[in-house]
Amino acid sequence: MTNRSVYLDYAATTPVAPAVAARMAECLTLEGAFGNPGSASHEYGERASELVERARAQVAAAVGAEAAEIVWTSGATEANNLAIFGTAHHYRDAGRHIVTSRTEHKSVLDPCRELERQGWRVTRVAPDRDGILDPGRVAAALRPDTVLVSIMHVNNEIGTIHDIAAIAALCARAGTARFHVDAAQSVGKCAVDFGSLGIDLLSLSAHKAYGPKGAGALAVSRRRGVQLTPLQYGGGQERTLRSGTVATHQAVGMGAAFTLASADPGAEFERIAGLKARLWRGLAAIGGATLNGAGVSVPHVLNVSFEGVEGESLLAAVQPIIAVSTGSACTSATREPSYVLRALGRDDRLAESSLRFSLGRFTSESDIDTAVAAVSDAVRRLRAIAGA
Amino acid sequence: MSYNELTRSYFSKAPCAGTLEGPDRFRGAAGDPAQGAWVQFDVRAVAGSTPALIEAVRFQAFGCPHLIAVAGWLAEHAPRRPIEPRLPQSVSELRERFAVPVEKTGRLLIVEDAWIAAMRAALGVPAP
Repeated sequence: MTNRSVYLDYAATTPVAPAVAARMAECLTLEGAFGNPGSASHEYGERASELVERARAQVAAAVGAEAAEIVWTSGATEANNLAIFGTAHHYRDAGRHIVTSRTEHKSVLDPCRELERQGWRVTRVAPDRDGILDPGRVAAALRPDTVLVSIMHVNNEIGTIHDIAAIAALCARAGTARFHVDAAQSVGKCAVDFGSLGIDLLSLSAHKAYGPKGAGALAVSRRRGVQLTPLQYGGGQERTLRSGTVATHQAVGMGAAFTLASADPGAEFERIAGLKARLWRGLAAIGGATLNGAGVSVPHVLNVSFEGVEGESLLAAVQPIIAVSTGSACTSATREPSYVLRALGRDDRLAESSLRFSLGRFTSESDIDTAVAAVSDAVRRLRAIAGA
Repeated sequence: MSYNELTRSYFSKAPCAGTLEGPDRFRGAAGDPAQGAWVQFDVRAVAGSTPALIEAVRFQAFGCPHLIAVAGWLAEHAPRRPIEPRLPQSVSELRERFAVPVEKTGRLLIVEDAWIAAMRAALGVPAP
């Protein structure tokens, strides 16, 4: 890792754990479980199928679901799409109204927008200034024709944790609306209990939890009798919900990663929380720093805006030293301020001048001190150039 | 966003960032920090030079790395050049030199406006 910048973008993705990579590699070659898990007619297929089902049970155990409730997908984006389109189309005769929030991931917002284009109505609930959704506001948005409520568990930009249990209870009280939770950022960072929370659908991602990219799952509650219309056809795999050959190595990787992530996370939580506090102390000392997402949050995400600096320049100045995300979507020409930070009431300038630091398994105190020094130097230099 | 070597260099060093003071300093600015891009140039002429030559230029800027790099480059290369109400290189030449995406040409126009405003002030020419 010599000469590489300090990686503080674990909320974007994580490196695959070596033990996970080793398990995956065992599924790729002639000597390993390379068979098609759908090929029940020979030992190669049976071996692959065994591993896929073991992985399914591992993922289910990590989130409090039954193995039979797990549907493999290519990631959380596909899981979100399957949950939203699948629910909307299956229950279209019951109603055409969806409730979501303004701070969801694009893989929720964009499907909702597409459904809106097709005639569905969508209500987007706003969070408070700290990024927390009031369950009462979600409940107030419910209508007799609401068929789906889609709310994320942990916000990917600011790390805030929504009160999923309360929202689930309100949905249940309101009647027919199905409750979908995007938990792409949750596993290994905070407790997820699909079975006891009263959730109908739960989206999961492997690569946020030291598993492979291209692997995810949608938990579909059997106990609650959730039905979905598939998005793709051909083969009938995954109880016809997701046709296509299951990628054994991806499933195995996700299962192994989730098992590691859910094994006694207490000490690691404490360590990461300590690093986050150290980081915030250092950044706050720069002055003109605003914490985005001051509500209840996961220990590994810290989002901070810096007054008096331009966002693109701030990112360019720190990039050689630290790898972080910015609070804006960058194109070649312009930078769109983060819609999440805008939803929190931040103005364009403050939203653009934000950095998201996300910590992980390999983050050290030294990394934090490097980040504080890099950001401090950059902010002071850019403010001096601007005469601020 | 990727930057060419010249942009990276002038953004990281930001030569001539700052201000000039005194009665022989002339100033021009353009843009608005609230809109994401602002530049100010201070210019001082070589005493008694005819035609008037630039002794020094300093700049302040709020904006992207391209904007800061171009402003710094212009300021650094200004001494001994004649004071005239135009850029020493055209916007399109600067865009090419610093590999500025065409969509960001507006940032360079802000630099140009600030530069011309400062030069006009030094020449005693009222703003149009």
